[in-house]
Amino acid sequence: MRDFLLGLAFVIGGGVVIAVARTYPTMPTLQFGPSLFPSLIGAGMVLGGAILALTRLASVKTAWRSAGGALSAYDYRGLAISLVPCALIVFYILASDTLGAPLCMALGMLLLMLIRGAKLWLALLVSIVIAVVIYLLFSRYLLIPLPEGTLLPPSLLAW
Amino acid sequence: MEPFLQGLGMVFNAQTLLVILAAAVFGLFVGAIPGLTATMAVALLVPITFYMDSTPAIAAIVATSAMAIFAGDIPGTYLNIPGTPASAAYVGESHRLAQLGRARETLGTNLICSVIGGLFGTLVLVLVSPSLAEIALNFSSFEYFWLALLGLSSSIFIAIGSRLKAFLSLTVGLLLSTVGLDMMSGAPRFTFGIPDLMAGINFIPVMIGMFALNEIMMFYGTKNESRQVPVTARDSVFASVPGHLRHYWRNVLRGSSLGTLIGALPGAGADIAAWIAYALGKSRSKHKEKYGSGHIEGIVDASSANNSGISGAWVPALVFGIPGDTITAIVIGVLYMKGMNPGPTIFMEGGGQVYALFTVFFVANLIMLPLGYLAIRASKVFILTPRKMLMPVILSFCIVGAFAINNSVTDIWIMLVIGLVAFVLARNDFPMAPAILGLVLGGTLENSFMSSMLKSNGDLLAFFERPISAALGALVILIWFLPLLLRLMRRLRGRPAPQQTPRSP
Repeated sequence: MRDFLLGLAFVIGGGVVIAVARTYPTMPTLQFGPSLFPSLIGAGMVLGGAILALTRLASVKTAWRSAGGALSAYDYRGLAISLVPCALIVFYILASDTLGAPLCMALGMLLLMLIRGAKLWLALLVSIVIAVVIYLLFSRYLLIPLPEGTLLPPSLLAW
Repeated sequence: MEPFLQGLGMVFNAQTLLVILAAAVFGLFVGAIPGLTATMAVALLVPITFYMDSTPAIAAIVATSAMAIFAGDIPGTYLNIPGTPASAAYVGESHRLAQLGRARETLGTNLICSVIGGLFGTLVLVLVSPSLAEIALNFSSFEYFWLALLGLSSSIFIAIGSRLKAFLSLTVGLLLSTVGLDMMSGAPRFTFGIPDLMAGINFIPVMIGMFALNEIMMFYGTKNESRQVPVTARDSVFASVPGHLRHYWRNVLRGSSLGTLIGALPGAGADIAAWIAYALGKSRSKHKEKYGSGHIEGIVDASSANNSGISGAWVPALVFGIPGDTITAIVIGVLYMKGMNPGPTIFMEGGGQVYALFTVFFVANLIMLPLGYLAIRASKVFILTPRKMLMPVILSFCIVGAFAINNSVTDIWIMLVIGLVAFVLARNDFPMAPAILGLVLGGTLENSFMSSMLKSNGDLLAFFERPISAALGALVILIWFLPLLLRLMRRLRGRPAPQQTPRSP
């Protein structure tokens, strides 16, 4: 069932790629322009996706017949938890300019540790120590301008 | 002689040796924790190597990958969970041995085989690549086009599992490689008006997303598991190893040479080398019936093969700029960043850079001996490190590492999007290696095609006019039709198709 849907996704994605590639300029001196490779890749996606979807048609029919049995057995809770790290990355991107990189990292790590049942004091200690170590390593040793944030006083991060 | 001594000097200094030691310990740690792969270790290391000189940077990558591949055997032996996919082939065998009270003996044998395999692969690299480079000097865009296509084709046909999924995975990588300004016309492609995408997608965030973020998401998607070491180990690490080596020296040699060869094939890395070496070892053994019941012969072939595969993958990467596996795909990016453009000229330029590179391989493989011995003695420390504390730390490294390459938030977004796509694809058994090869080789493929067409005024037959180009072209076409030919031959002989090799976890 999922292979069928992924096959369809590749067909649609490939179609979009071809459509976008058609808008690229052609070169008068050369018969092959910047649209050639994207178009070929798009065609490959359409073709491969279609074959994948068609070869899995049988499984779709069985899934329909068992009235969504396969779908209801799917582990949605597990899927939701596996998306938490992504949500934390978005949080970091949006909040690090205000909160600063070390605080954002520490909060993210703390939450993830607690989700998997770590002890609060241990999670708190590890996340704070690691966040400070990573910040110092990248910001002071490798000179990466990690966002310092406006919340914490600069004097705290200056050392 | 002078470049050689210069090369030695670039390696045998305090900074580089310290980097090798630290990288080896890091590789040991990552390899010994199930769920963290050698490729992930290297992807996480790159943002730090970015700020080093080229020799210590490459030394760090070589030491990390070699050590991680050996360390993958540690949880495999004690817990029956391979630390890296490269240990999956013989994990059952080594765990049975551990249950028989021979855990340290098994790991000691693994260690020595890994060192021999790694040194064998390095010897091949040292002996073969300079002469291959001389041939490659005569290559033009026509040959490079076919070489890139050969690499991409073999990444599909060697892939374990569905070839169709490998092909679709490849199209994702190729599509990513087209993002940015077109080399010929200067037209922006798939940039969505974002200035950071004009120069193309930086592949370090892609690697981190594909191999680290994806694994983190996989970890949170699975149920909690508690780990205990069910077997105790009090046997000696090295006492029985000389005897095993005397008995099975042919297996070590066969595993090492097979591993080097498979490692050198684009798209096939240490994991596939181990599977094939294990299968071949079993089929040629006089004691086939003992395989699976705790037979030391079962681990000799494969543990030599996975480490020699790591070194073998460097041959095409250095000579042609075509990566042999996912690790060398990252390495090629690092080499470009360091101004050491991979390709035949790397061997012709003066200075000791190439000798330094070769020396690094020997040192990194030899340092495995003492560090591996200590790791075997202290196995429990690595195995029982709780992943619930480690994965959040890795996530922080992912974010900062992706940002560090260009100091750009766009790279964090790229890592996130690629991580999500890789997660969906990997959960549905799409292999990741073709996507990485597509991303690394896509540019070479398109640019060599376009410049060939400029030279030949759009005549496609020009790809078959030069002798080496024609031979490479014929080889590519043969690979495309090989599955069909094999099926036809089997049908003519009236034999059923053999089962696929089991998928590595």
